[in-house]
Amino acid sequence: MMAPLAFAWRTLVRQPARSALGVLGVAAVGALLLDMLLLSEGLVLSMRELLDRMGFDVRVTAGEALPGAGPDIANATAAAAAIAALPSVRRVTSIRSEDAELRFRDQRVDGVFLGVGADARLWTIVRGREPTAPREVVVNQYAAETLRIEPGATLTLSAYCGTEDAAPPALSFRVSGVAELPFERPGTASGATLLADLEAACGEPGAGLADFLAVTSAGDASAAAAAIAAARPDLTAFTNDQLIGRMQQGGFTYFRQISTVLATITMTFALLLITVLLTVSVNQRLGEVAALRALGFSQRRVVLDVLCESALIVGTGGALSVPIGLLLAGWLDAILKRMPGIPTQMHFFVFEPEALGIHAGLLAATALLAAAYPMRVVARLPIAATLRNEVIS
Amino acid sequence: MKARLLVLAVLLAVTAGLPHAQTPEAPTILVTRQLAERDGLAVGDHVRLAPDSKGARVQTFRVAGIYEPTPDPMRLGSVPLAVRMHLPDLLRLTRDPSVPEGAEHIEAINIALVDPADAEAFSRDLNARAVGASSQPTRRPASFGTTFVVLERFHTAIAAVTILAATVFLLALTIMLVEERRETVGVLRLIGLPARRILLQVLVEGVVVAGLGALFGLALALGSEGLINRFFQWRYDTALVFVRITPRVAAICLAIAVPLGAAATVAASWALLRRTGLRLARR
Repeated sequence: MMAPLAFAWRTLVRQPARSALGVLGVAAVGALLLDMLLLSEGLVLSMRELLDRMGFDVRVTAGEALPGAGPDIANATAAAAAIAALPSVRRVTSIRSEDAELRFRDQRVDGVFLGVGADARLWTIVRGREPTAPREVVVNQYAAETLRIEPGATLTLSAYCGTEDAAPPALSFRVSGVAELPFERPGTASGATLLADLEAACGEPGAGLADFLAVTSAGDASAAAAAIAAARPDLTAFTNDQLIGRMQQGGFTYFRQISTVLATITMTFALLLITVLLTVSVNQRLGEVAALRALGFSQRRVVLDVLCESALIVGTGGALSVPIGLLLAGWLDAILKRMPGIPTQMHFFVFEPEALGIHAGLLAATALLAAAYPMRVVARLPIAATLRNEVIS
Repeated sequence: MKARLLVLAVLLAVTAGLPHAQTPEAPTILVTRQLAERDGLAVGDHVRLAPDSKGARVQTFRVAGIYEPTPDPMRLGSVPLAVRMHLPDLLRLTRDPSVPEGAEHIEAINIALVDPADAEAFSRDLNARAVGASSQPTRRPASFGTTFVVLERFHTAIAAVTILAATVFLLALTIMLVEERRETVGVLRLIGLPARRILLQVLVEGVVVAGLGALFGLALALGSEGLINRFFQWRYDTALVFVRITPRVAAICLAIAVPLGAAATVAASWALLRRTGLRLARR
């Protein structure tokens, strides 16, 4: 096998310009193909990673809507207690978020205020410490920068919790730390504290409302969701897989569809161009191939030469396409993340080894298919007639 | 309100197939095409709606029509299962029994001014006079359109990479094609044609071939436009148009493809023409 490969290598090196351009073309197309593969599952993987990172495997809502998109759960404290008593459940946390205005001295910013149950810490502290005492809050980096506050500062917070336009109470909160909050959006100020403090900021102490309940199962999320559904038929329990499934049916499908369409076009494009490149190259060397056959090269051997040429172009281009594709993915991800409402931690392009395997497989198939026609030309070449034509011309 | 409407939509699906008493004077509603298709509703059917999933305070409505909802790109992927009813009917249906009739809460009142330019002044005036109400001129929210601007940038970036790849391949192909014509060019040089004249000929050829290629590409795009739209409209059950080849898009394609094709031909020929006629014509 080495001999045909070495021979194909020498053929390519003999024509450096066209070979280099062929390799570069495959690298660009391969990079685009890799990016489309990363895009097809990127949002789903990113969302799954975000959901798993929070440490809960079941979410309970009041309606059929996804957590945070439907009605509030009334009597959430009682519901949480009932669910926590189930043997398949390890812990339950109420989560509620409201729009809020954060003020510090003469600076003010609108944002989101999150309240969580006493034993839950959904965020990652960047500076300072957790809120442990009443009227303590952690803020995200954007809020800290916009209001120019650091841990220890005291800010004023007004939460807009009701459906009526009513003036919310303005309460003072001590900033215990700066944190990275789950699902925080770029350019949006966020604060988080204990649920009781959020209720106080809403002017509804003990209201017991929650957007959803976050549940950690004892090990089997599906069993926990089924137990919750049986115990509280008025509530809907979603496992992380079910949530991902629902999201896949919604807006996530657009990027999967577009990536499928673009990947198909990219593959067709690459196949067409490499076929043309190899066919023209072979046609220009028909006399040379006939001479080699006359010298004793077997039909199988010259066919293998063409196949190796294709493999070298696609292989080298494909190898180059991986780093180029990853760089390109970073750039495209930065473009798409400017969409409103996309959480900071979410990514459209997520690397996974499986995508790399599919990429390699598709490129290998391209190399094989692209070489099929020129291999046929070489295999059926009439040696004597070709040599005679060469001499006459 | 959003949550209430969701409950209404869900309950409609639950109760539509149930037996009910025909009430000729039942208030009328419109249902979306998608909801009508899903639940087999037709004009004249009677359906029962309730403000919550338990079915309390259920009321019967008559389907007066089926409408195609205005396509909303922001809700792509979610099937619009919705009904439209007159506001008094909605208030009657959703009013809490403890709230007296006429004291229901509504979220907003839309006002069309005789002169839209007065919006700011009207809003200021209303805010000063109507205590407890907040008035603001209708503006596009800051995020409106941002999604599409971002998607346009994304598609432009993808197009740029595709053009780059195509250019590289094109250059490789033209180098090979020019190499094939090496002897012809050598003979032309030997019979006295200057390199500049041959280059001009190559340029004209490049423009013609690139122009024809670009026109073929446009024809292909126009031919597949309907196909792509029909596929995505079927996939998302929407009337949205996903691909539209506008004169501007066609002009941009031509403006990129023709000069690029011509430039690739000239660039590939340039190296060849720098050689002498004898060198080119040698065998």
